[in-house]
Amino acid sequence: MKTVLTIIKKEFTRFFKDTRLWLTAIVLPGLLIFALYSAMGSIIQSVQEREQNYTPTAVVVNLPDSFAPVFSQMFELKEGDAEDGKQSVKEGELDIVMVFPRDFDALISSYSPASGQPAPNVEIYYNSSEEKSLTAFGSAQSILTAFEDAAANMFDINRPSEDVAYDFASAQDTSRMILSMIVPMVLLMLLFSGCMAVAPESIAGEKERGTIATLLVTPVKRGYVAVGKIAALSVIALLSGLSSCLGMVFSLPKLVGEASGLTISILTAGDYAALFGVVLSTVLVLVAIIAIISAYSKSVKEAGGLVVPVMLLTMLCGVFSMFVTSKNIGLFFIPLFNSALLISAIISGAVSWAYFLVTVCVNLAFAAILVFVLTKMFGSERIMFNR
Amino acid sequence: MEEILQVENLTKTFRLSRKQRKLEGGAAVKTAVDNLSFTAYKGEIFGLLGPNGAGKTTTLRILATLIKPDAGDAFIEGKSVVRDEYAVRSRIGFLTSELKLEDFFTPDYLFDFFCELYSVPTETAAKRKAEMFARFGIDKFAQVKVANLSTGMRQKVSLVISLVNDPDFIIFDEPTNGLDVLTAKTVTDFISELKARGKTIILSTHIFSLIEKLCDRVGVIIDGKLAALGTLEEIKSGKSLEDSFFGIYAAFKGGEEQ
Repeated sequence: MKTVLTIIKKEFTRFFKDTRLWLTAIVLPGLLIFALYSAMGSIIQSVQEREQNYTPTAVVVNLPDSFAPVFSQMFELKEGDAEDGKQSVKEGELDIVMVFPRDFDALISSYSPASGQPAPNVEIYYNSSEEKSLTAFGSAQSILTAFEDAAANMFDINRPSEDVAYDFASAQDTSRMILSMIVPMVLLMLLFSGCMAVAPESIAGEKERGTIATLLVTPVKRGYVAVGKIAALSVIALLSGLSSCLGMVFSLPKLVGEASGLTISILTAGDYAALFGVVLSTVLVLVAIIAIISAYSKSVKEAGGLVVPVMLLTMLCGVFSMFVTSKNIGLFFIPLFNSALLISAIISGAVSWAYFLVTVCVNLAFAAILVFVLTKMFGSERIMFNR
Repeated sequence: MEEILQVENLTKTFRLSRKQRKLEGGAAVKTAVDNLSFTAYKGEIFGLLGPNGAGKTTTLRILATLIKPDAGDAFIEGKSVVRDEYAVRSRIGFLTSELKLEDFFTPDYLFDFFCELYSVPTETAAKRKAEMFARFGIDKFAQVKVANLSTGMRQKVSLVISLVNDPDFIIFDEPTNGLDVLTAKTVTDFISELKARGKTIILSTHIFSLIEKLCDRVGVIIDGKLAALGTLEEIKSGKSLEDSFFGIYAAFKGGEEQ
């Protein structure tokens, strides 16, 4: 028993005497979870506030007196007929179109389910690939459903019909919307994994094995050593990222179902070029960040521990991109987060060249600053030799 | 005699960690090299002798431009190790146990790689590789990964790689450390050969026999300071080098206490 306690004591001494180890293993996870959840909470709150402050637009045909007060409060009612309204919904200029039968109130009061006749039907046209339209549809449907329940099922809402499509979103639009939420996070994590697989080994590994000193004693400028390493690591990480991307692109139709109409051709050549540009610039940023952490670390193991916050931050960028629908260009000046937003925009077909240019330029500039920092670190004897 | 190395008032201190401070009696910094000055002449082997922690390796790391001094300077073939570090690096060879070779690569690949870094012309590199590999018996293992080589063979490869640029000024830090007697003899014979070819060599060691066998002049370093400097015979002053060293050590420590 005493020997077991001796072993336990030795393990605890090893752990708690190493400040970096207990900081990364005990303190950091709690801090990160706190930061992560706090940030997610404030984003969700801001999304909710935005939704609460937004008044959906609607065209209501034959608006019955019984619904007029509640719908005029819930919606910004627009003038127009059903066909114009439907077109506007398809084009994203209007959120929903509701079509009530003429004399709806009289019809439902005289309707008898026992008559065998179909109940009066309220049609709601919307576009499920547009977040605002989908929310407006949900609001209208819930009001009508509550009224329908109170009126003992005296009418139907969007009675199924082979001739009528109430949702204007195509299966492809819906798939794109879902993918635009999932892909940024998955892609960022895949790119991160690619960078993580090579960068710590190449820099922290060389420090740990003592081979970096052999390189630094040659007449090659240390800045060139740093740039050479970053360039090689970026190419390898990019190849790893591209391999993951290809796997993802070809497997997505199977993931969302062949019936979704989703094929690799939903993105144009321009979209793929933009995707490549953003992936390349993102890889440079990630490689440079991990290279700096690796240069600071004494070993690959230490680099692996210190890089965890960056991994969570990268994941967070992907998660936040699901909630942020803002087109505020200022958001595209935040490295990594801009990549997630741009990937989302490319996949949902809403990419703009201005956002693309800002994202790529910001990422390249940020990577250049990081490479400069790395070259300074390579020149620091305290960092490279004396730690 | 032509001066090829001038070391002028070299000083280097290291900031200590909290744990190290406890060992050093609370001092925040440790002076590893303290106002060190000496000269080496062309074609000689200059030995730095001292106990562990005396400052020999720090001095050699400064000369090899791996680290910078806090004060003072050193000039190799007229080039400052502080201001002309890249010029110095291209002129010197540096072998120390601190510098390791990547296990994944073969001696053949590494030789070519370092030749490119030193801008050695391809033909010269090929000729030099053939000569050196044959001289040390590396040719049979040229395509074997460093990871699979014996300790002695690795040291030979390290030695050869440290000289890819055929430098006139060579720094050896404990070159025979951890080697078996046969490999150690190969290394010491080669150092004599280099001297015969007119190279200048700075050699750090705590092995008296190595100093006696190879060195023309010796500097004794204790606590970062130069405790004695002279030809081998002057340092020995009629005694064995070992006895002389302990005499110098005792006198230095005694003088410090007074």
